[in-house]
Amino acid sequence: MIEATNLVKRYGPHTAVDNASFTIERGEIVGFLGPNGAGKSTTMNILSGYLSSTEGTVTVDGMNILEHPMEAKKKIGYLPENPPLYPEMTVREYLRFAGEIKKVPSEELPSRMERIMQTVGIQDVAGRLIRNLSKGYKQRVGLAQAMIGDPEILILDEPTAGLDPKQILEIRDLIISLGRDHTVILSSHILPEVSAVCRRILIINDGRIVADDTPENLAHRLLGGSHVLLRVEGPRERVEEALRAVPAVRNVEFQEPQEPGTVEAVAEAEKDRDIRRDVFRAMSGAGLPVLMMRALDMSLEEIFLHLTTKEEEAATT
Amino acid sequence: MMAILKRELKSYFLTPIGYLYMGFFLLVAGVFFTFGNLLPRSSYFTSFLSGVLFVYLFAIPLLTMRLFSEERRQRTDQLLLTSPVSIPEIVLGKFLAAYAVYLLTLAVTVMYALVVGIHGDLAVWETLGSYIGFILLGASYISVGVFVSAGTENQLTSALVSFFSLLIIWLIDPISQAVPSDLAAGIVSAAVLVGAVCGYLYINTRNRYLAAGAAFLGALIIAALYFVDKGVYIGFIRKFLGWFSLNKRYESFSMGILKIDSLVYYVSFSGLFLFLTVRLIEKRRWN
Repeated sequence: MIEATNLVKRYGPHTAVDNASFTIERGEIVGFLGPNGAGKSTTMNILSGYLSSTEGTVTVDGMNILEHPMEAKKKIGYLPENPPLYPEMTVREYLRFAGEIKKVPSEELPSRMERIMQTVGIQDVAGRLIRNLSKGYKQRVGLAQAMIGDPEILILDEPTAGLDPKQILEIRDLIISLGRDHTVILSSHILPEVSAVCRRILIINDGRIVADDTPENLAHRLLGGSHVLLRVEGPRERVEEALRAVPAVRNVEFQEPQEPGTVEAVAEAEKDRDIRRDVFRAMSGAGLPVLMMRALDMSLEEIFLHLTTKEEEAATT
Repeated sequence: MMAILKRELKSYFLTPIGYLYMGFFLLVAGVFFTFGNLLPRSSYFTSFLSGVLFVYLFAIPLLTMRLFSEERRQRTDQLLLTSPVSIPEIVLGKFLAAYAVYLLTLAVTVMYALVVGIHGDLAVWETLGSYIGFILLGASYISVGVFVSAGTENQLTSALVSFFSLLIIWLIDPISQAVPSDLAAGIVSAAVLVGAVCGYLYINTRNRYLAAGAAFLGALIIAALYFVDKGVYIGFIRKFLGWFSLNKRYESFSMGILKIDSLVYYVSFSGLFLFLTVRLIEKRRWN
């Protein structure tokens, strides 16, 4: 559906995107994950045809976006990081304009506008000036703009940035429902968000794609049981002793107790070992009740550290 | 293109800019007319029109400052450039919107001509010629403003740069009267011109041989012209500057003379600047 080959984007001496290649199939929901400044927005700007890449090509349905911009752009709806809105227009005026420049047949436009306004939930602000809308509504109007040309591909750059938690959930549900009949590419710097919506994640760091996998596989590779947080009732020495007796436990640390009479222990496992079962047996054998046990999520920064150091290791060996 | 034109036209009157432009222009034009024609009971209308020409120096930057700079500031250019519309369509749509407001405002001053015509003696052909001149000159001024607006994301910068660009165009006539016009000055300035073209080629292509080749070719042409007809270099700078003088060509219109070459000149001048605007926007996508 959309294919990027060896994309490179340089701004003077700075390389924003470094040799990125990927193929996204029809009907996929793909998430670009990376910290701010990793090259997500630049990649999306290139995919949508807003920027040209220094090297490499983007093809949409087999058409090069630089050689056939009109045909390719009709297939893409784009919501940039800041929704491209005209504050002096009303929502309805704006959507009509967006529909016109996306070459929607004029007899079809009014009904399509109403349908999309209903889908994204902005009918009740249709007559208001965009200037006066809240951030959440502006984001939805931006989303409506991306959908108005009835594109097969939706590119959404940080679609939930700046929204409150309720709005985030609503937009997420909307994206999931859009994913049923669209190819959706979205970006985020929040891991749970991407794993909630996407069936495939591309992790970008320093302009390079460092991982490309399903959320489950990534979670398994990166999060699964490497650190386990325990809340155990009993004295600290006994808990430490019992934990250290588990063969795969490499290290034990303690945190501030949260409940009286308990300890908070963090057990670190040896690489790629899931120690939760062993820890459970050890605790139960020592007669220490486990009140809580959970795998500690790695933060995005730790994942990056993990991925980048891993790459360097691979490079040196 | 129609969608862009319609939106831009609407936005002139949804934001204060359209009113500001019309109000400013009509106020100054009204003052000129009142004190130049009404109170002294003068029916010399072309002098009013020549005075109005000066107002455009300030008014045109107001009209064009927002066109592209605001799109960039609001990031709405991302909507335009990722939609299936070509850049020439966008540029033309915006240009025509500004031009429409310009013509609409100019049309109001026809009222003054009617007042003079009813109560006095209106020089019909000169007035008609002047209006045709305005229609052409306005397109050229606006195309410069459009170009400048595409180069910045700040309205104020855009307005100021447009103002100074138009001011330079205005000052070309007096400057070209003062420059030396002898043979040596002509050859030197031709050489400088060739040098500038070569420099531009080198900066854009980074190809040493191409630039050197162009320099050689330029030197050859300068030398050949020198031996064929020395007269080319007499007043060379003045002739060269004269190509950019928009106002000089207006004078014949205000005398009621319709010159085809001036007409072609104004149309190609506007076309050139709109083309440069398209190139500028395209170029930014690569950087």
